[in-house]
Amino acid sequence: MLSRRTIVYASLAAVFMIGLGAFSTYVRWDVTHRPWEYDGWRRITWPFPRDGWDEGQAWRGHGLEVYVRPKLGFCGNCDTGVVDDSEVDRVTDIDLVDPLFTPVASGQRIQITDLVGRSRIYKLRSRGSSQLAEAIAVSYRCDLVVAIVVGNVADEELRRKARRFLEADPVQDWINAQLGEK
Amino acid sequence: MMRLVLFIASLPLLASAALAQQQKIGDPPEASNMRLVGWNDLQARSAYQPTIHHQGDRWIAYIGHHGGTDAVPDPVNPMTGKAEPNGTSIVDVTDPANPKYLRHIPGQEGKYEAGGAQMVRVCDGASLPKGDKNAVYMLRTFGSEAHEIWNVADPANPKLVTRLAGLKDTHKSWWECDTGIAYLVSGAPDWRVRRMTQVYDLSDPVHPKKIRDFGLPGQQPGATGAVPTELHGPISTGPRGNRVYFGYGTNKGGILQIVDREKLLKGPAAPTDENLRSPEVGRLSMSAWNGAHTTFPMLQMPVAEFAADGEGAKRDIVMIVDEAIQNECREARQMVWFADVSIEARPMMISSWTVPEASGHFCQRGGRFGAHSSNESMDPVFYKKMAFIAFFNAGIRALDVRDPYHPVEMGYFIPAITEKTDKRCVREGGQDRCKTAIQTNNVETDSRGYIYIVDRANTGLHILELAGPARAVAGLK
Repeated sequence: MLSRRTIVYASLAAVFMIGLGAFSTYVRWDVTHRPWEYDGWRRITWPFPRDGWDEGQAWRGHGLEVYVRPKLGFCGNCDTGVVDDSEVDRVTDIDLVDPLFTPVASGQRIQITDLVGRSRIYKLRSRGSSQLAEAIAVSYRCDLVVAIVVGNVADEELRRKARRFLEADPVQDWINAQLGEK
Repeated sequence: MMRLVLFIASLPLLASAALAQQQKIGDPPEASNMRLVGWNDLQARSAYQPTIHHQGDRWIAYIGHHGGTDAVPDPVNPMTGKAEPNGTSIVDVTDPANPKYLRHIPGQEGKYEAGGAQMVRVCDGASLPKGDKNAVYMLRTFGSEAHEIWNVADPANPKLVTRLAGLKDTHKSWWECDTGIAYLVSGAPDWRVRRMTQVYDLSDPVHPKKIRDFGLPGQQPGATGAVPTELHGPISTGPRGNRVYFGYGTNKGGILQIVDREKLLKGPAAPTDENLRSPEVGRLSMSAWNGAHTTFPMLQMPVAEFAADGEGAKRDIVMIVDEAIQNECREARQMVWFADVSIEARPMMISSWTVPEASGHFCQRGGRFGAHSSNESMDPVFYKKMAFIAFFNAGIRALDVRDPYHPVEMGYFIPAITEKTDKRCVREGGQDRCKTAIQTNNVETDSRGYIYIVDRANTGLHILELAGPARAVAGLK
């Protein structure tokens, strides 16, 4: 039979471990769900139906909407990353925003912090002829991070503003947590 | 109260029990109703598809490989003394207790899925309508950029016959040995997906003839809108069955597409929505959480429970195997599904099967846990009786599928790790945390009843046989 002292010490250790786990879970939950406001951006509810990937985060600000989420293990080629436009069409969830998306032009190389990939601008035909969106896919090894910026992305200054926001702490902290702090 | 305290206090002990499940070098294999017959290390190359071919009086295993690892991009071939990019291993398994490594054919330079030569199929020239009767042809992928056909009549001295290049990806092709029709999983440069089907007539392997490109409507060049899930691989029942079962998706958004082979081969080839839709006779869309890596048809299966029924005593079944992608269970469980496709226009999922995680604490062992692929041989020794499922760190699992509505596990084998077994890592707190575990990736069988499993984490080829009641299910003595 265990002594009373052993039981008390073991219980304290167990309580400490459970508390540590609960705190860690809370911090993770808090990073995910905290109502962010940052430099004119406000977090909104993820608007898309559930699919095979974890829910992303969505923000609204400066006349734009930004949707971003990691897709772990989804890169077509872990060495090259995203290098062609068809992959941007396929992986960025642009079809969630508008199934009738049409590319406006060829895409271009893009870098968000140290993640490199490709971006492309689309016309959102379901929303009217003037509605545009920029889809972005960058990768780290085999993991993708995809983002969509909806609004007047023909305006280069607005596009830059959205990219700066994607590189800002609120987005990066969350992405890093999702990617295992890569 | 005291019980609660004891339970809480025992939690760390339970955690350490789970840690004790991790494989260590020197531990024996774990097995039930399966036993090891022979082993070859395959030069410590990460392995994908094994194909076993009866060649004269010999049995030869052709094994495709992924590219090398970060640590060893090009392992040294001890037979040549040279560092060679992973390609195809050719092993004489006539005596399964003493497999003899014959030859390594290098593949495309590149690590992991970016290199190697993962896929391999073999047909005798004598069975192909226009083949050289003395030849044995091996169809393989060359990394992401080409398909190749080699004459392996002398398996120790293969000769390149044909190369179909200029692709952006390749994968799990199928080749009908009696007609020569091949469904090559390719990446045609202008298609909107990495992987689609190029149908070829390879009845004369020296002079390949392209028949058409094929995929789901929306994947073709010039299409707009959402891009449907990309192909993983097809399996054809040939002219007699007149069906091709295409599996799309690996671990997400799976689709089983049932295609009329005749219409596919003879229909208009231009890749328009209408022409791509025309050969399809049925489709089963799976959950966004599961893919369709292998779609293995088992047609006209008598189901004992339905024997007295006025209709439906025999069922057309497709076994669908998903592929686990993430290490340490960081995704939805990938497993085995059975679809009743007797009414082709209304296919229906009827059962599923997975290894119970708690039976080995597999989520904590390291590497991937979940299904990857099944054997694809339709030889009567196992066909419609026993299916073998590669389950990564849970090894190979033998399922009694005689009643596909209620599949039952009859045995398993989890090989021991070796000093060559590669680690598998996950990121935690910005650091890699790595564990070493077996990663049984693919499996094939031969008509003698041997089971060949290969390891993605460089542990080689294990040749197994059934034991105990599992042998009885297959009718083996």
